[in-house]
Amino acid sequence: MPALNDLYRRYGDRAAFYVVYIQEAHPVDFWQTSSNIREHVLLNSTRSLSERTEAAGTCAVRLGLRLPAVIDKPDDVVERAYTGWPDRLYLVDRNGRVAYKSAAGPFGFEPGDLERALKRALETAERPSR
Amino acid sequence: MRTGARILIGLVVIYGAFYAIVLWAMCQPPSTFGRFMRYTPNALVFGALPAEKMWLWARAGHLNVGDVAPDFTLPLLHGDTAVTLSSFRGQRPVVLVFGSYT
Repeated sequence: MPALNDLYRRYGDRAAFYVVYIQEAHPVDFWQTSSNIREHVLLNSTRSLSERTEAAGTCAVRLGLRLPAVIDKPDDVVERAYTGWPDRLYLVDRNGRVAYKSAAGPFGFEPGDLERALKRALETAERPSR
Repeated sequence: MRTGARILIGLVVIYGAFYAIVLWAMCQPPSTFGRFMRYTPNALVFGALPAEKMWLWARAGHLNVGDVAPDFTLPLLHGDTAVTLSSFRGQRPVVLVFGSYT
């Protein structure tokens, strides 16, 4: 998360950044992990928009999240369209096309690759249109 | 057939079945997979199987670089407004960070 805050600080004036808060990866009622128990990150799975909004708010405060966040609806339509669970990074270019898609988390969280793609997208965007 | 060979074949069949079941679970919706992992020894999944490779394959998704990003309108965490992805078209690139607290 510090790496994402840092990207947002450096590129936030030229690109839009959003956390898409989706269903929990390791809720207490499904698949609890020992690291979450150690860090007291204990949340039930979120079944309504208000539960999910509350979880996102807690997350943003405790992790010191600077990026704006949107909340995926309980039907998980956006998560499914992007295969976003449990976590994943995307870059959408100015033409509305996918310019970068990370591998599925937790193995694919590489902010360095995202930054390279973002630089390329910004360079393309700043050139005069054909 | 010698007993050794029988045991070997048995082990291969058990391993194959375990591999197939875990891969099936990885392809299911998150809550189903979560419930599966809750009752499966995690050390066995991560220790005995190429779990990372299987996961990346199972969760590769259908969206590829160059595809039109599916449009959405979702409520913002702070404030009463919503964000529509396509409103940035022609304006600026958009970084999307999918994730949750846990």
